[in-house]
Parts: sequence; structure tokens; C-alpha cells
Amino acid sequence: MRRKISLFAAIAVLLLSACKSSSNDPQPSMNHEPVLTTTAQVILNTYQDLSQKAAKLQETTVLLRQVPIEAHLELARQAWREARSPWEQSEGFLFGPVDQEGLDPSLDSWPVNVSDLQAVLNSSHTITVEFLQQQEGTLKGFHTIEYLLWGEDGKKTVADFSDREFEYLEACAGALAQDAARLYELWSPEGGNYISNVINAGKGSKVYVSQKAALEEIVSALGVIADEVANGKINEPFSQKDLTLEESRFSANSKNDFANNMRSIQNIYLGQYEGEGDTANSLSALVSSLDASLDTRLKEHIQKAIDDIEAIPGTFSEAVFSHRAEVQKAQQSVRDLQDLIEGEVLPLINSIK
Amino acid sequence: MKILSTVRFLIASVGISLAACHSSVEPQENNWTYAGGETTVFSTGPDAYTLPLANLNKDGLQKHLEADAMFAQQFVTEPAERFGGLGPIFNQNACESCHIRNGKSAVPAYSGDPSSGLLLRLGTESSEELPGFGNQLQTKAVFGFTPEGKISIEEREKIVRFADGMETKIRELQYGIQDSYIPLPASTRISPRMAQAVYGLGLLEAVPEEEILALADENDRNGDGISGRPNWVWDKQQQSIRLGRFGWKAAQPSALQQSAAAAHNDMGLSNPLFPEENCTGQNNCGGDEKMDISNEELELFTFYFQTLGVPAPRNQNSNKVKQGRLLFFEARCNACHVPTLHTGPHPIRELAYQTIHPYTDLLLHDMGEDLADHRPEGKASGREWRTPPLWGIGLTQVVNPQATFLHDGRARTIEEAILWHGGEAEYSKQFYMKLPKSEREKLLAFVESL
Repeated sequence: MRRKISLFAAIAVLLLSACKSSSNDPQPSMNHEPVLTTTAQVILNTYQDLSQKAAKLQETTVLLRQVPIEAHLELARQAWREARSPWEQSEGFLFGPVDQEGLDPSLDSWPVNVSDLQAVLNSSHTITVEFLQQQEGTLKGFHTIEYLLWGEDGKKTVADFSDREFEYLEACAGALAQDAARLYELWSPEGGNYISNVINAGKGSKVYVSQKAALEEIVSALGVIADEVANGKINEPFSQKDLTLEESRFSANSKNDFANNMRSIQNIYLGQYEGEGDTANSLSALVSSLDASLDTRLKEHIQKAIDDIEAIPGTFSEAVFSHRAEVQKAQQSVRDLQDLIEGEVLPLINSIK
Repeated sequence: MKILSTVRFLIASVGISLAACHSSVEPQENNWTYAGGETTVFSTGPDAYTLPLANLNKDGLQKHLEADAMFAQQFVTEPAERFGGLGPIFNQNACESCHIRNGKSAVPAYSGDPSSGLLLRLGTESSEELPGFGNQLQTKAVFGFTPEGKISIEEREKIVRFADGMETKIRELQYGIQDSYIPLPASTRISPRMAQAVYGLGLLEAVPEEEILALADENDRNGDGISGRPNWVWDKQQQSIRLGRFGWKAAQPSALQQSAAAAHNDMGLSNPLFPEENCTGQNNCGGDEKMDISNEELELFTFYFQTLGVPAPRNQNSNKVKQGRLLFFEARCNACHVPTLHTGPHPIRELAYQTIHPYTDLLLHDMGEDLADHRPEGKASGREWRTPPLWGIGLTQVVNPQATFLHDGRARTIEEAILWHGGEAEYSKQFYMKLPKSEREKLLAFVESL
């Protein structure tokens, strides 16, 4: 369901770049390498966290299979939520290896291919990480694990599990851990070193011909996730009053998904992950140096979006029917944030040299 | 709310604003920049192929965004709450899985690599169908069904020597089929096909047949060694023979039929133009009579790529690029990679009556033995290929660093692609090979600027 471009970003880019493409502006160029370095480091740290949390999730599924008790099921569910958090906090930058190497579908496909999942469970095929890595994303990743841990109605108990489901779950968490590790490795300077393409934008980067091009990609991606949350993830189940369109409904984790998507924007903008980062050389610092009021408003908008999402009472599934005003308020805050990113921040970035 | 209304105003006025930009800043001699006419987009980054037509109106933009989500949507096995209909055999489960960021795919990294967007067309020397397999190898199946086979790949390099004595290596790929679900007939012919970039197809669809046919020179009356033949194919919607324009052999007459064929062949989605499953007639086939996607959904897929903008060329004022352009003409590359075409009427009015620079004639040319697949398609022989457009080519590896060139992805660089040209393009290749290095670099710089 993920879009590649959102409406306002499209217009902003088109309007501005069309007009600027052949003008000769004498404005001197600034060096944005420190900002790019800070941003790239946030990305790397997010993926490192994802990789570690996914490995933990795998451990809990092994334990659950060995000793299937309710406490272990709860541990696995908690580990799923904890791994889900950095993933959702990475959706503000769905470019690079996650996109090019097919890792996004492998980690986070939706919907789950329930028919094939049942067919695999009913078969005598040995379920291993290798087997799952040959299957489509809709048979693995976060949502298949979620479906197995919570069940269709979210009320599954250990007694409801078949041995085959435990086997599937363990392999599926193994595949997720493998993909998460690979994603981190591809960005890491010791591995695929994709990070260097961002840091060295305009200075030999194979991907970005200029620092501005890299900054545009980064800011556009922030707008894309805001659009996705407001107009996809929230809007589709909400406007159609149809929970089959709600992405994390089995685990009732949707509100966390939305809030963490907003934190993804916040992390990139402030240049920190889990409170650590070179905030003096953040995107926020760059925006602030050009338009201090915009910087303040953007920070406020991000926080308001997070607060309004978290203020929705109960689960999102319930709120779609019972707390529509609160959902609408949160949706509007995310739309306002999107408009600010695409209507003001992106044009500002577009105007720099 | 204030910001929102400002942006809404921007949407409303976008057409006017762009028109204003054009007249005020565009130097007359530099109109090559507007590769897609008023639809041209100006991103140079990895999102370069993902922007909607610059002149698309507000309703069109809304529809384009809806279509964008469909293009990314993964399909699953029936019965399903949502997005069912995949398979039973297929190549990938979402459009975007092959058309990475709307651009090209990579060749398989190893034999059996499930992630590549390269596919094999199948047939015999005299037929577009291979008994038991149909016209395409589906390498995946929903659980419980067997893929038709896996693609094997082998790589070789050969050395090419330029007139100045310098050498370079070009890559050759040998594709085959392994683990086929039934034995392969001895008569099997394989035609490897790389998923192509999807932008600009709306514009190419809008070029009137007469303009393309005027470029054809089937019997080489002008004696330049270059023929240019139209492919004539069956249009399932209009129920008539029409000029083929899309695909590596110009086998599809319209954007709609192109996307319907892809949905049918590549994803197993039966649809109004291709109502059967892609495995019909095989013993490894299931599925029901139900149409997997509706006409509206098919039109939405199609609208998405019809309304993708074409990226503007870059560095058009650099001397190297300017000199490279002259060499491109001197080498007669432009005989097939025709720089300028014009669009006529089109239901999407933003596409209509534009002067565009796609660098293609949309015609078939004999490209020589090295590139031949020996599998005919429509009127196209086993040695003929449709001239691929060059607009946006320089951004191929910015969009997907793993992407490569030519129908089977063998060329890792644009230079390698040039060096594989033969047949009607032999003169151009020889011209290139006789150039000194500095001149070769200029020609490459020009192609890469597109």
C-alpha cells in the first residue's frame, strides 16, 4: 500500500524545480555534510536497534516453542512490539537498501496470505528460515508473526497453538531477524556501507549527485510517511469503517505504529535516536538557520501529532467506531504535519544551493 | 487549515504556474530539456521516475496517488479478505517488485534468485507458445502448486578492442531453465526480458500511428542500412489490428493491454482483457472462473504509469554533453533513437499535443546475431527488437544501482550496451569503436545526460 510519492510533495517539487532549473542564483553553496552525517547516523542506529530487537524476538519464539506457557507467549508478544517499534521508526526513511533489496516486503508485507499460510500449516513441509526466505513477503515478516501470535481475533492462547504454528512462528521470527541483520549490515560502514552514499552526497556518492538531492530525498521521505499515516493507515479503515484495512489490528498495535512513524520523522528531524545524536548538526539546525519560526512550528507539529495519536482512547479498532472525533483530530494533526513538511520544509530545502 | 488552503490553491494553479515558468526561463535553443514536453519532471535523485506528470490536474493527481498505492500493492492467494487473485503461478506478487521505483530490475544474482524482475518468454522457433508452459516461465507458485521452473544464469566476459588499441570487457549472460515441472521440449526457445521502466508510456501511446509509420523504411529504400519495421498486433480492447508499441518487441498496442498482459502473465491476475488464468491448459493449474481484477482496477494500474512524468535531461549546457550530442548524430544513433516525436490527441489531455524527446522510433530493427533470441513475437523476427527510448536512461542506476541495460540485462554500463549493438546498428557501433577515448567519453556523457 505504500506510495512512492505524496500529492503535496509532488506539487512542491514540480513547481519549484521547474522554475529553478535554469535560473542562475548567485547564492553561495553551503556544506551540508555534517547534517547528512547526523541523519545517516540516525538511520544506522535505528537499523542496529531493529536488528537487535528482532534477534530477541527470535529467542522468545524459540522459548515459547520449547516451553509453551502463557507467560512465554506474553514475552514473545512483548518482544514483537519492541521489534516493531524501531521498524516503525524507520519508515520515515524507506529509501536505499530497504527499498532496493526487497527487504521492505520481506519484513513488512501486508496483508498476510492467510490462505497460503493455512496451506503450509496443513502440509507436511518442514518449515525453516530457508523455506520462508523462498516465500513471498505475505507469508513472513511482522504481520505473519503478528497473526500467529495473536490470531484473527487477537485472543489466542497457548492452548490454541498447533505444533506446526510454533514451528512456523520460530522460523518466521528467524527470517525476520535475518532480514533485519542484513538491512543493518547493508548500511553499516563495515558492511555494504550505504551510509557513505548519503554522507558523501555530491562528493563521489553513486546515488546522490548533490547534497541537495540527498536532503530532498530525506525530507520527501518524511512527507511520504506522514501522508501514508494520515491518508493510508488511518484513513482507509476509518473512512470505510472496515477493520480488514487496518494494518496491525491482530495485535491492537496500530496506535503505536502511527506514533512511532511520527517519531521516525522526529528522530530524523532532530538528528537523534533514543535521545542520542549530534543535534547541533541536525536537519532542525539547518532549517532553524534559514527560518527559525518554521523550525519551531515543525517541532510543535510533530509533537502534536504524537500526542493526538496517543490521546485516542482504547484500541484503534474500537476508536474507528466509538471515538471518531479523536481519530479525526489525530488524522488532522498528521495532515497538518505533512502539509508543513511538504508545503514549507521541502520548498526551503529545494531553495538551498 | 491556512496552510492546507494555500496548498490547495497551489494545486489549482499548478498548470498556470508551470506554463509561466516555461515561457520566462526556458532558452529557445535549450528546449531538449523538456524531454516530456509540459509533463517533464526535474528530480535527479532516486525518486526521479516516481513523479506524476508536471501538468497533471488536481483530479488526475488524486487518481494518480490512488493508483500509486495499487501499483505497490502485494496480492495474495484466494480466498482472501483483500487483494486476492494471485497465481496460481506467477513471477512476482506486486507491480513494484519488478519495476523497482518504477525503473528497471536487476538480473538474477544467482540461478534461481527469486527476487529478480527478469523473466523468460518461451516459445519455439515458429511459435510464441511452448507446449505445457505457455508464453512465459512463471517461476513462483502459491503454496501447493509447482512453479514452472527456475531461471539459471551464467556469466561470461569477452574482450572488445577499440581502434585506439584500448580494451574493455563486456558481459554476456546465458540463461536457461532448471527444475522445470515437466521436461522441457527440445524445441524450447528462451527470450529473457528485463522489466522496463514504466514512465513516459502515456506519451508514447499518444504519438499518432502515422508519425511512427512515417519513420518506417521496411525495405530500406533510402539505403542507409536501417529498415525500421512496425509490429502489427491484435488489440483486444478495440478488436482490431494496431501498431505495437510497448515491450521489448513492441507486442502490445496500448498501455492498457500492456498492463493487462503483465497482470495476467506476471502475477496470475485474470482480467477483462485476459480472462483466463495464465496456466490454463496445464495440468498444474487451479483457480476459478472469477475475474481477479476488474476493469476499473485495470484502468487504475494503467493510469498510474500513463501519468508518470519523464525526467528532464541534465547538464545540457556542458560542452562535453553538447559535443557528445553531435557525435550521437554523426554516429547515426539518431536513425533509430529518434530524438523528437509529437503526441496527438489522448484521453488524458495532459499527454496530448506535446513535443517530446524520447529517442526512439518505436519500430523493430534487426540487432544482429549477438542479441538475437530466435523467438518471433507478432511480426517481430528472432533478430528484431524495438528501439528502447533513451529518455531518463542516465538515471537508471541512480534509481536502482543494481539495474543494467539491454533486454536481458547483460550490459552493466551504457558503453557495454553500445558495444553489443549489431545488425542495423553495426555502423554506429563501428563509428563508436573508432573514436578516440576522449570522444567516446563525450558521446557517453551525452547519453548519460538524458
